[in-house]
Amino acid sequence: MPYDPTLISALEPDQLVAATMRPLPRRKLSRGVLAMLIVLRVFILIAIPIVVYAFVHALLVLQS
Amino acid sequence: MSESTMSFGFSRPSASAEERITYEDVLRARDRLKVLETRAAKSSLRLLWLLAGPGVLVMLGENDGPSMVSYATTGATYGIGFFAPFILLTFVMAFVVQEMTVRLGAATHRGHAELIFQRFGPFWGYFAMGDLVFGNLLTLVTEFIAIQAGGLYFGVPSWASVAIGVALVVGSLAFRRYATWERVLMGLAVFNLLFVPAALLAHPNGAELTHALAAWGPLPGGFTTAFLTLVLANVGATVTPWMIFFQQSAVVDKGLTRADVPQGRIDTAIGAALAAVAAIATLVAAAPLFAAKVDVSQFANGADFATALVPLIGSTGATLFALGIFEAGLVAAMTISTSSSYSLAETAAAAEKASARHSLNLDFAHGRLFYGVAIVSTILAAGIVLIPGAPLLAMTLTVNVIATLLMAPALLLLLLLANDAEIMGDLANGRWANLAGGTIVVAIAVVGALYGVITAFPNLLPK
Repeated sequence: MPYDPTLISALEPDQLVAATMRPLPRRKLSRGVLAMLIVLRVFILIAIPIVVYAFVHALLVLQS
Repeated sequence: MSESTMSFGFSRPSASAEERITYEDVLRARDRLKVLETRAAKSSLRLLWLLAGPGVLVMLGENDGPSMVSYATTGATYGIGFFAPFILLTFVMAFVVQEMTVRLGAATHRGHAELIFQRFGPFWGYFAMGDLVFGNLLTLVTEFIAIQAGGLYFGVPSWASVAIGVALVVGSLAFRRYATWERVLMGLAVFNLLFVPAALLAHPNGAELTHALAAWGPLPGGFTTAFLTLVLANVGATVTPWMIFFQQSAVVDKGLTRADVPQGRIDTAIGAALAAVAAIATLVAAAPLFAAKVDVSQFANGADFATALVPLIGSTGATLFALGIFEAGLVAAMTISTSSSYSLAETAAAAEKASARHSLNLDFAHGRLFYGVAIVSTILAAGIVLIPGAPLLAMTLTVNVIATLLMAPALLLLLLLANDAEIMGDLANGRWANLAGGTIVVAIAVVGALYGVITAFPNLLPK
């Protein structure tokens, strides 16, 4: 494909596909953020059984 | 930091980068050129028209099949009293949440899934993607239930409505051009407002509606399990994880930059206002069922509501209602399947499988994974709906539980990203955005927990 610098200059440099393919660095997490993410993992561990229970419960109620 | 220097350390493309300009870049650059020319000509309305799309689509997309059934159930169970202002409030919440995705997309030019993966690591990256794709698949099933229900009202067999739905969803991907896809979907999404004439045919009492909006009442029956379930269903109908992923990715695909954030905000506000009008109209249209004391607890889908409304708002109103349900399912199927595509392909790209690209500007050869996810999930969801005896109602109920329970983690990750000054620069959340966002996270976590409690202990509150 011919390179048209005038057209491509309508994009910001970090909008180009080549630029967006470079990964951003991993964020350095503060203690507060780390604690929040741990709480989030606990929340998920509690939430998943509730979701499974809700589905099975809905199935059983509909069958009965 | 100026707009041109906010580039995470990347400079102008080198000679080798210039050789790597893709067709996707060229298509996006054409759209951006129009935006830059319009901005230079100081044509504000045309600029808004060019930059609008993601906000309107995400808000009207979320007025999907199960959401409209939730609003109708609410209207039929409680009338318009408490819930008209409550629904308005949920859309204010949706605006606060979605506005953050506009800033994130414009500041980073990355989708939400890849940003989570890159900034928080693979665990949260895979979790966010897996949660979204699974939740989206179940939601897609409910969209096809709506499409099927809309068709049944007009006597169209289930298989035919579902086949038409699949053909339209898959066909919309054939544009291979974000701008065209977006405009076609916006044209379709306007039909969400079919609920407005349906509501007018219910001859609502203007004074009653005004009083409800001002006084948050009346609330017949008080605080019961049914009331709490409908509160949660209405929250789940307005603020959901797929919206966050979809709008940020769409903002990136459209090519919005920091300079476009004000128009992105207006786009989101217009979308929220239109969606709120359609949602309240659905509530109003179904309110005659409340006045007539019709028991809707056994209604399974939108077609049942439309049929029950015939003697109350006339066949024209009921027809508009059924058409609205069909449209709601169709547009949502298009946007939700695309959000799965964006999320899965972004995660694959972030996991350094560089061939995984994610844009509606891709051709099929370069976007096999991207288009494949949307096509496979659409066909799978449609297939499930057609399985005789499939637990469709159980799926619909579970979708609401999943959406409500998993919204709190999605919002927390969104808030953390929106506060990440390293990538957001001067677009990072301020004090007020954090206060509003934090309040919403807490409120949604509380209602999610309550939902969990009443699911596990159904006899805790009066029915």
